[in-house]
Amino acid sequence: MKTEDLISQLAGEPVAAQGGVERRAVTGLGIGFLIALALFLPVLGPRPDFLEVVQRPIVAVKTILPLLLGPVALLLALRSARPTTPAPAGIGALWLWPAMALALFLYAFATTAPGARAVAFLGHSIPICLPAIVVLAAPILIAVFRALKDGAPTRPALCGALAGLAAAGFATALYSTFCNEDSPLFYAVWYSLGIGIVTAAGAVAGGRYLRW
Amino acid sequence: MENRESRWAELFRRGNRGDGAAYRTFLTEVTPVLRRIAAARSPGLSAEIEDIVQEVLMAIHGKRHTWREGEPVLPWLYAIARYKAADAWRRRGRPSVPVEDLAEILADERSGDPSAARDLGQLLAGIDTRSAGIVRAIGIEGESAGEVGARYGMTEGAVRVAYHRAMARLRGLADGKEERE
Repeated sequence: MKTEDLISQLAGEPVAAQGGVERRAVTGLGIGFLIALALFLPVLGPRPDFLEVVQRPIVAVKTILPLLLGPVALLLALRSARPTTPAPAGIGALWLWPAMALALFLYAFATTAPGARAVAFLGHSIPICLPAIVVLAAPILIAVFRALKDGAPTRPALCGALAGLAAAGFATALYSTFCNEDSPLFYAVWYSLGIGIVTAAGAVAGGRYLRW
Repeated sequence: MENRESRWAELFRRGNRGDGAAYRTFLTEVTPVLRRIAAARSPGLSAEIEDIVQEVLMAIHGKRHTWREGEPVLPWLYAIARYKAADAWRRRGRPSVPVEDLAEILADERSGDPSAARDLGQLLAGIDTRSAGIVRAIGIEGESAGEVGARYGMTEGAVRVAYHRAMARLRGLADGKEERE
């Protein structure tokens, strides 16, 4: 086909879709989170003493940190889905979360009696924690991906990783309301690992499904 | 440079709001630039530069909603062109992509290589029936776009665009399939 014929064809439908990726991503996030909630509430549900224990800062941060990570990473994923900013400004701010996790871990290490450290670190719920974070993140990740596909990420794997980080943030915040492991020796490690797994999955999926 | 930026931004803005003539002018004027980018990014593929240019044009068309009015248009354009040109190079540069050349698969099919025929059949099953029909008709049966258009009630140009898009999707499917294996 001649290029000028193609141009004629394309010029026949000039009007660009309006509204955009951002609005769809927020809608997708809402739907994905509702699905995650529908999975979470009947199977796990928040711990009975949640409102009480959450008043302790060391318990509150395990919900607050991932809850803040969600929107920040989502914003970065949306920027990354724009062709000119594959690695958006502000992406370095994400180091704040591993830094906080490390700080919490070191604090807990220093304040926990040596004999109690291993018990707190291993906890009793790793086999629930990791799968739960991944499963709860999945619907959010899929819903956000559907919106990001409308974008034009020039580094699809990075965009997918940011989406994974966002989904993991929201999913982990939700899961943390169930989890009664309140030592950072546990959650700074295992939550981080769960978030890392979802982020890696997002990167792989992005490399495959966010190409255009 | 500033002139070109503001001129193209204005044309593109008007195009996105429904001005077909402005949009056509925009696409026509950016095409030589795309051709240069495609040529620079695709060493050793001179015969296919025009195909890549057309892929970039279709990408611009498909992703034009990701450009925001007020945002510089040149960086946006270059980002799209570089991505698609690199993508085309990545795909074409790999000799093992099965739908790289339909003629080869056709030859395989006729000489009875069952795996290639099966591969193509599987790939075609992955896209919608009409697109698969168009690919079969043009790529395998060798019908003209006009003949196919008459059968599907489409204009010749629309058939060509549909064929091009179907091929792009088949390549995507083939890439995905290859990665899985």
